[in-house]
Amino acid sequence: MFDDIDPRSPTPLYEQIAARVRMAIAAEELSAGDGLPSVRALSHTLRINPATVVQAYRDLALDGFVEIRHGQGTFVREVPAPRRADERATQAAELVRQLLQSAARVGIGVEELAHAFRAEAGVDIRE
Amino acid sequence: MNSAIELSGLGWKADRSFSLRDISLRVPVGSIYGFLGPNGSGKTTTIRMCMGMMKPDHGEIRVLGMDVPRDMPRILAKVGYVPERPHVYPALTVAEQVRYHASFFKPWDEGWARELMERLGLDPTWKISRMSKGETGKLLLLLALSQRPSLLVLDEPTDGLDPVVRRDVLTAVLDYVGETNATVFVSSHLVHELERICDWVGVMDDGALVAELPMQVFKNGIKRIKVAGAPVEPADAPFTILSRDQANGSPAVETWVVRGWQDSMRAWFESSGAVLRDIVDLDLEDGFVELLRSSRPRTPHRS
Repeated sequence: MFDDIDPRSPTPLYEQIAARVRMAIAAEELSAGDGLPSVRALSHTLRINPATVVQAYRDLALDGFVEIRHGQGTFVREVPAPRRADERATQAAELVRQLLQSAARVGIGVEELAHAFRAEAGVDIRE
Repeated sequence: MNSAIELSGLGWKADRSFSLRDISLRVPVGSIYGFLGPNGSGKTTTIRMCMGMMKPDHGEIRVLGMDVPRDMPRILAKVGYVPERPHVYPALTVAEQVRYHASFFKPWDEGWARELMERLGLDPTWKISRMSKGETGKLLLLLALSQRPSLLVLDEPTDGLDPVVRRDVLTAVLDYVGETNATVFVSSHLVHELERICDWVGVMDDGALVAELPMQVFKNGIKRIKVAGAPVEPADAPFTILSRDQANGSPAVETWVVRGWQDSMRAWFESSGAVLRDIVDLDLEDGFVELLRSSRPRTPHRS
């Protein structure tokens, strides 16, 4: 689940971890009551500072996605469907923003992107 | 006490060619602090002073809230130190060296020493004189960790080790930190290695500390940007310009490397009549190189 965490990215590691968990919850890869890896286990696997994992879990708890039970671990909370849909929309918008940015860097306009989108996905995104 | 290490105004003159100049740094308790800098920038000298092995000409050193050198015995009891050069006896076996080292430390964790021995693939019967650099490196770390220190001071702990050993060493440190919340002060010239584990960075160059800030601020604050119609003298820029060059091909566009960047600063370009064409994120190594380049005296390459 955390395969694409990239320490060289300018997005802080704790944000990347939290985003991955939110997405997994939104996509119902994780459901209510599921446990997240322990801080020590995840810091070990990803070879990152345990404090980074703690911060990611804390942010997720503040946003209501998980619950930290002291001495037991971190568990996914019940997230209502509209909230999950919001999260998916947020992630989709982020992906489009990245695409537009990369396209602008090489001088490709929205029109050309729309064309490519139809060729690749068979969907017309104009109108 | 909220600093594990605190240096104020540390100065020391080795000879005409090298000196430490007015070093003040602060390692927050519970942080993993990366002490970066090229070879010969003064990292090891600074560390040796923290460990009471060298005396500065002036300045103050406090480690775990205690005074160096006055409280040195009490400090050493709580600090696990992996020096740049091994301080083990070639004639001993691994088991003998471990027993020797253990006799100096009260909270020695026999069980964990044994577990680390296994995890790091060390054999107690090996003779130290026959061990490779990587094996010796792992032994040094085992000694430092089994003391159960509140502060780990690691001087280039992975220098010259192969990638597999390097990984073993770093994971052992992270596991220890996860369990104990110990503070880690780690020096390295291998920037990528520290990128994923550190939350604070101090950068040394030529005997001085040229930057000290949280990792995230350091990484996000340095950007390469493309500017069209750049003003000749951008005096009122809200960020620091580390370098500016003409972008290849188009003379009207310049490439700047800036420090202290925040997204809200985009507005400054409109007010100065320039157009911000692109912002490229730099990773820690790029940022590190640009910072050193700008901190060194050089002959101006453009008028």
